[in-house]
Order: sequence, then structure tokens, then C-alpha cells
Amino acid sequence: MAVLTYIEAIRQAMWEEMKRDEHVFILGEDVGRYGGAFKATQSLYQEFGPDRVIDTPISESAIVGAAIGAALMGMRPVAEMQFADFISCAFDQIVNFAAKSYYRWGAKVPLVIRAPSGGGVHGGPFHSQNPEGWFFHVPGLKVVAPSTPRDAKGLLKAAIRDDNPVIYFEHKLLYRRIKEEVDEGDYIVPLGRADIKREGKDLTVLTYGAMLHASIEAAQKVADEGIDAQVVDLRTLLPLDWEIIQECVKKTNRVLIVHEDTKTGGIGAELAATIADQTFEFLDAPIRRVASLDTPVPYSPPLEEYFLPNPKKIAAAMRDLARY
Amino acid sequence: MSLDRKKMLDMYYHLRLTRALEDRVRILYRQGKIPGGVYLSTGQEAISVGLTHALEPEDVIAISYRDLGALLTRGMAPASVFAQYLGKITSPTRGKDGSLHIGDLKLGIICPVSILADNIPVAAGIALAMKLMGKKNISVALFGEGASNRGDFHEGLNLASVKKLPVLYVCINNQFAYSTPLSTTMAIKDVATRAAGYNIPGQVLDGNDIFAVHSAVAEAAKRARQGEGPTLLECKTMRMTGHSEHDNANYIPKNLLEQWKKKDPILIMEKHLTEAKVLTKRLKEEITSRIAKGIEEGIKAAEEAPLPKGEEAEKDVYAPSS
Amino acid sequence: MKLEVIMPRMGESVVEGTVVKWLKSEGDRVEKDEPLVEISTDKVDTEIPAPASGILTQIVVHEGETIQVGTTMAYLETEEAAEQAPMAAPKKEERVPTAPQPSRKEEVKVVPLIEAPARAREGRFYSPLVRSMAKAEGVSLEELESVPGTGQGERVTKADLLRFLEAKRPQPTIEYPAERVEIMAMGVMRKAIAEHMVRSVHTSAHVTTVSEADVSRAVATREKLKDEFLKREGFALTYTPFFVSCAIRALKEYPIINSSLDGDNIIIKKFINVGIAVALEKGLIVPVVKGADEKSFFGLARAIHDLSERARHKKLHPDDVHGGTFTVTNPGMFGNLLGTPIINQPQVAILAIGAIKKRAVVIDDAIAIRSMSFLSLSYDHRVLDGALAGMFLQRIVQFLEEFDSGWVNL
Repeated sequence: MAVLTYIEAIRQAMWEEMKRDEHVFILGEDVGRYGGAFKATQSLYQEFGPDRVIDTPISESAIVGAAIGAALMGMRPVAEMQFADFISCAFDQIVNFAAKSYYRWGAKVPLVIRAPSGGGVHGGPFHSQNPEGWFFHVPGLKVVAPSTPRDAKGLLKAAIRDDNPVIYFEHKLLYRRIKEEVDEGDYIVPLGRADIKREGKDLTVLTYGAMLHASIEAAQKVADEGIDAQVVDLRTLLPLDWEIIQECVKKTNRVLIVHEDTKTGGIGAELAATIADQTFEFLDAPIRRVASLDTPVPYSPPLEEYFLPNPKKIAAAMRDLARY
Repeated sequence: MSLDRKKMLDMYYHLRLTRALEDRVRILYRQGKIPGGVYLSTGQEAISVGLTHALEPEDVIAISYRDLGALLTRGMAPASVFAQYLGKITSPTRGKDGSLHIGDLKLGIICPVSILADNIPVAAGIALAMKLMGKKNISVALFGEGASNRGDFHEGLNLASVKKLPVLYVCINNQFAYSTPLSTTMAIKDVATRAAGYNIPGQVLDGNDIFAVHSAVAEAAKRARQGEGPTLLECKTMRMTGHSEHDNANYIPKNLLEQWKKKDPILIMEKHLTEAKVLTKRLKEEITSRIAKGIEEGIKAAEEAPLPKGEEAEKDVYAPSS
Repeated sequence: MKLEVIMPRMGESVVEGTVVKWLKSEGDRVEKDEPLVEISTDKVDTEIPAPASGILTQIVVHEGETIQVGTTMAYLETEEAAEQAPMAAPKKEERVPTAPQPSRKEEVKVVPLIEAPARAREGRFYSPLVRSMAKAEGVSLEELESVPGTGQGERVTKADLLRFLEAKRPQPTIEYPAERVEIMAMGVMRKAIAEHMVRSVHTSAHVTTVSEADVSRAVATREKLKDEFLKREGFALTYTPFFVSCAIRALKEYPIINSSLDGDNIIIKKFINVGIAVALEKGLIVPVVKGADEKSFFGLARAIHDLSERARHKKLHPDDVHGGTFTVTNPGMFGNLLGTPIINQPQVAILAIGAIKKRAVVIDDAIAIRSMSFLSLSYDHRVLDGALAGMFLQRIVQFLEEFDSGWVNL
């Protein structure tokens, strides 16, 4: 086992999958010799050559459209969006062509779209967004958002092997900040399974991506005050792991949802609605959400700090919920 | 050349100001004072400056993210630009956006987004409005050769050409889309040849020659004003920096940069102005010190301005209904 | 002025940088914006210009060392007074691997939770969980009302209810060897009684007042009537109708005793239905004499007999055990002196009759032998105070002591 950063784990997953299956290839802007804007594909071009690590024009619609075409022919493309913010340019290809293909005519689209998302990096309105909510609403897609290097590797390998279009949101704040021991070699983290990252009995936090780390930090903060929070890493957003979610609701009876995406119409809304629907009689408090403000992501540091959830805001919500 | 002395010196001043301001931004970034990304126009400033000088004040420019020259020529204060990079409350976006995402309808500048080529159909719409409102003004969209590979380029040009809209499409071909050279992203040598697909004039010109830019734009603008429709101008130049200041651009061959350094737009313009006896040594010194003073005052004002308070983030998501 | 030279952030995801080479040594003078140090990050290698003119007084991070973005690399001593505004870039980022957040300095405004709904007219607010737990555990809404809440606005939380249930549960503490005990499951009636009694204790503020009555006149009257009564009615005349009829007389004078509590309202009944506790082999039941205030003495005696008999032979109708407004119980039947009964909800008082015994009592400074009985009244202190309850009890005593044989003919 080696200690890998989150981005190294992503790179290792692609490397291993390309070694394992010659149908796997990469395409995107600057992914080749340059190694990607974040260096996620660094050294892949040198190892696998220009036919399997393909630099494209600035043409997100063409990147995804071409990836769909290749996938229909049995290839397993991994397309990179330079920033998740630019995925909107490929929206139509994703939601209309890829997502509906198997449902309409039984043709599988084994496609992975990697999209570096998230704020906290002073990237401003177009380099900080969390657009998972847009895709969460589209039947036929799978949406993944890992928070740790081990999960990042296992989930990407699972996504590549999945026969459906998978949007893989990797949080850029985590790229070089989070390290842990990661198994070398082949393992997958199955899609659709959440993971309890911290056991607790007083309340359950449902979260994912960078907010997992903020929630754990908040849980540690309030632990000294006698509040024992359970923190669940959803890992796959579509489909959600309702089994674990319901178990946790039944165990702790209080639920806090934390996501970095803006609040209105976010994944938290669906979580809250379904929890209320399916496990109403197990709730001892209102379901609470901590999310970003319903505004674009502002650039200036004090504005962005105000906009984003952080451990302090999460801890405050935990206290409120525990006190209810 | 029909340009008078004063106009030429104005252009020279804005060219130098653009370079000087961005040199300071680079330093601020390396000193850790700029929280976000920095994307500069070093080496290609003649295009946005020359172009803006060739337009009427009421013409509207949909800039891209390396077109500081257009902003400065239209009168944007250096202090505002510095404040934007520093994320201050005095910035044109009140700290809500960074880099060169600056616009001002009063100055006839449309604020760009990071999603390249989005401004191409938008410029068509601006031109459409000019036409519908009976104005004699035109619109201009600035974009890179990389952006011309996006679908919006095609949709915008097609619409503008079929409707004969008074719009000017100015492609700044600086050879590299981030790390990717033009040769690997398009099968043609000149973006201008794409004009044929829309049955509009396409013209290649030297983007480092400010007078070449000025006259080509003036000519195309005249045609647009006369109802003859859009023109695609391709200004050849070279991005003399990384894509951003955190990109060391080691993919650009050193000798290529050396060649282009000799064709620096400021050098070319100075040579021309000196030969025409417009620019004297004394005048140059005077302009240099005027620019330095303006820059220092701008930085001082921007650094002294406060950062926005967190609550400002919640403001102005919606325009008040009138 | 001392000025820090910090490691700048060179790209969105970059968190650290390495000092490659110092271009100046400690003690050297540097000009503002003059290259000072070369750094290298994951994404770029670059020279860092001096932030101001001055003397490089101290190099903190040496060549080859890797540090976090925002960390101080060196100090400059400048000639200028402090004139620069605070830097926009965040200072050193906290190095907490599980906590990838830039340092957060400002206090955060937190929107408070919606207040837990206050105690409403219809009762308190209960969360879905508390309601479903109460239902599963057989805790009635009335009982729930008595559970102290520690949540927001004294809301009953899951923990509160668990505490309550724990306290309610019989403490199965001591374990006996199986051969030395007999385990007997509680029957339906036993459970109902248990539930009812616990609920009553949790609901009412119980107080018991005791008085003694000289029932010699009632005894004499019974002696006079009993043979003829048995012949005529076919069953024995007991003392119960005597006590009950006196209680009814007193109730008419103190109607508030004949009441119940509903939320914040005391409901005073304009009819008197007296429950009579009847001991059964496996428990207890309280059939109700409806319209007891409208019955003659014999009518009352008949009704009590009828209900008791039917109770013992399980012939009561559901209707027979509902609607009581006051209850009389008779522990004296088994020879006991007095009892402290538990109120039959939702009534507010219950009378217990002690055994009638001949005792030497002092009357007008002479010792006499009289038939005496202890009467105890348990009442709900939420509704009744001691003075009123005491007066009521004394009124019953008076009626008993002044029992007029003429009353039995009415």
C-alpha cells in the first residue's frame, strides 16, 4: 500500500483500467502531453500514446458526443471536462443522447465523464460550481462523488466498468489536500453504496465530496460537547443508497444533510423528501440542511467563505439539531 | 494612413498601459496577493487596443478574457481592474467575480464568462438589437482560435450571416488553446477560411501590428454599418505567457517565443511612430512616467479598498422589478 | 516595518510549493518587485518578486524545503511605515488532512432552527418518532402529557420518552432460581388495571385525607331492616348503600367533587354516577350506578347488588363500567381499617370505607361503645384543595352520624 493523494488515486485508477482493458481510452482538453489542467492524466500519454490519450479541441459537446459514439461501438471512453462548470456545453449530449439510449433502444453507453467540481479555491462563478444536481435529476445517468483517495480509485474503476453513462465529480479542493493509504492493484468500490465514515448515535450527517471532511471536522468539534454524530459518505448520488440512509435514520432519528451545491433543488431536497416519506415515524426532529447559498459562487474570499458551508456552520447546525 | 497624431499617441498610450498594468498583475499574483487565477494578454495587446480605437464609442464589444486593452481604451480605471483581481468591494463586480470578467454597459463592454465562444451568438443578438432599434452601431465579439472550435461559433456565425447582422467577429489566433497547439485542434491553417462556410468575408491579418488591426476593423465596421453583414477577421499573434500564471508553458518551444519577441506589438508600434516622427524620446519618457503613476495610484487605491463583507454574497441575485 | 514573504498559491488545486533557490542572501538589499526566490509547485516553477524594497532580514524556509501555500518564507525589513492594506489572499492554510478548509476567521451567522412548537391548546407537540414509540409502547396521550421534556421548548425527545419508559417498567432486577419462583403472565385485566393505575398516579396529584365516623345510627337502621329486606328483596342488605347514599348527599352540596379535568378546564357534572369497586378473583372492576342521585335508598341498594353480582359472574355490559363521576371502594369489607385509594380517572376523588368496628369513644366526657368506621378520601390536588376536600369528607361523616332511618323510605 502506498500513500496517495486523491488526484494520484484517480490517475492510478485510469492507469490500471487502461492496462486491464484496451477499450478504455481518454479524451479531453489538454489531457495529453500536458497531462490535464490539474495534471490528473499526467504520464498517461507517455505510457499509452496519443491514440488512447486524446487531446481534443475546446468542444465539450463533441467530446461527449464522440465518447458516446465510441461507447456504442464497445469502447470505454473516459472523457474529461476541464472544469465541471463547462459540462453545461455538453449537457444535451449527456441528458438526451447518453442517458436515454439504453431505455429507448437497448444500446449501452459505457461512458465516464470526469468533472473537476467544487469551490473553496477562489475560482469564481465559472471554476467553482457543483453541478451534480443537474444530473441527479436525469434517469439513466449515474452520478458519483468520491471524498477520499481510496474511494476515488475504487469508484472510478467501477464507473469505467459500468455499462451506463457515469458522471464522476471529483472535488478539486481535495486533489492535493487529502492523502491516505490506497491499495495498489485491482479493487472496486461498487456504485450505489454509501459508507459510514464516522459512527455516532445522536444524529446522522448525510454528505459527500469535500463536505465529508468538513462534516467530520464538525463532528469532532461537537463530540467534546457530548454530541455524537454519525457521518455518512453517500459516495454515489444516483442511485442513492436508501438502505443505509434508512438504517441511519432509524438509528439516530435526527438527520442533517450537508452539501456544497446550492440549497434549492439540491440533492438534499430529495433526501429530505424521501426520508420524510419513508421514515417519518422515526424522526425526532426536522430534517436540516446545510448547503451553499442560493447565489452564484462569488470570487472574493470573504464572499466565498460566506457562501460555502464549513465545519463551523455544520457544527452549529449539529448543535441546533441535537438541542431540538 | 488616415490616423492623426493625437489618435496614434492615444493608441500607443493604451497599448503601453495594458502591458504595464498586466505586468503589475503578474507581480501581485506571484506575491500571493491575488486569490484567484490570472490570464494575461502579453504579446497580443495590439488587437484589443487597435480594434477599440477603430470603433465608434456606441459600438458594443463582447470581450474575452485577454482583452484588457478594450476595457482600458474605453476608459476603465486601472484601480477598478486591480480591485477586480484583488477581490475588493470597489471592483466592477463588487468582488463577486475575478480575473478579467469585467463589463460595463455604459462603456459598451459585455462581461465575459469562462465558457469560451458563448459571446459569439450573444454578439449576434446585440447586432440584431441595433438593427431592430434603428441604430447605426455594430457589435464585435472577440475570441480565440480555440473557442472557434466550439459549436456556438458555428451557430452564431450562421445566424449573423443569414440575417446580415452588423457584427464583427474577431478571432485572436494566439497559437495555443491552453497547452494545445492549433495544428492539433483544427485541420485548417487559418480560422478565417471558415468564413466561406457562411458566405462572409474572412481576412487574415497581423495582430501584432496595431495599425493593421485598426484599418481592417475600420473597414469591416464600415461594411457592417452599411448593412453588408458580418466579417470574420483573424488576427495572428502569439500568447507570450502561459495560459494562466500558474502554467509555465513549457510546451511552447523557446525559439518560437524568441521569434515572436522580435515582433512585439509595442516595438512595432514604436518603430512606426518614431519613423513618422510622432514619438520622441522625451514624449516616450513622459508617457512612461504617466503610465507608471497611473498604475501606482490604481494599485494603491485598490489595495486600500476593503474586501466585501460576507453578507454581500447574498445580494443582487435578482434584479429588482421595475 | 517587518514584512512577510509568503508562498503564493499558483493554481486552484495547489497546496504546497518548494523553495528552489534564494536569489538573495540574508542581509542583502532588495528592490520592490525584484526577483527574490525561485519556487516550484506541482504546476509551475517561477520566480517570486519582492513585495517591497528593503533588507532581507531572515530566510525562514531554506532551499529544498516544501511548505504550504500561504506560509512565510522570509522576512523583509522595509523603510516604509505600514501602508499596505491587508492581503486579499488567505494567509496560511491550516494543515489538517481531514479538514480541507481554508482558515475561517469570521463568526458565522447561523439561522436558528425553527422553534419546536409550543404547548398547544390540544396538548403538546410530539415528533413523529415520539408518537410512534408511544404507540408501540402503549403510552397514552394523557400519559405522554406527563412526561417531562428536555428538548427545545420542553419538547419531549426520544431520550425523555426512553427515560419515562424505563421508569415505568417494573424493575426486573433480582433474579431467582427458576425452581423457587412461579412466573405468571399478566392477563388482559391485570394489564389493564396496571396501566390504568399507573396512568392515574402519573396524571393526578394524589392526596388522601382520613376521617372517622360514628356509624352507630346506620348500623342500628340496618339491624332493624335487614331481615325484612332479605325476605323482600332476596339478598342481604350491606352497609355499602348507607355510605354511598351519604356520599351522594354530600356530593350534591359539593358539586366540584363530582367533576373531571379536561386540559385546562374543570368539567363539573350535573349528574352523579357512582362507581363501586368490586373485588374479583383475578382483579377488580368498577361498575357504575348511573343516575345514583335519582335513586331511592332501596333503589341504590338494588343497583349496587345487581352490578356486583353481574361483575362477579362476568355479566357486565361494556356500558356498565363507563361514565362514573365518583367512586366508592370498600377495603373495610375484609376487615381493614382504612385505605388510600387511587383515583379512578378521569374523576377527581374516590372514597374508601374502612371496617366498622365497635370502639370505646369519648362522648361528652363519658366513654361509650360505638360502631366506628374510618373514611379516607383520595383527591386530585390539581382540582381540589385540602380545605374543600376536608369539608366534603366531614359532610359525609355528618350524614352518616346523623343517619335518619326515615331516609331509607324515601
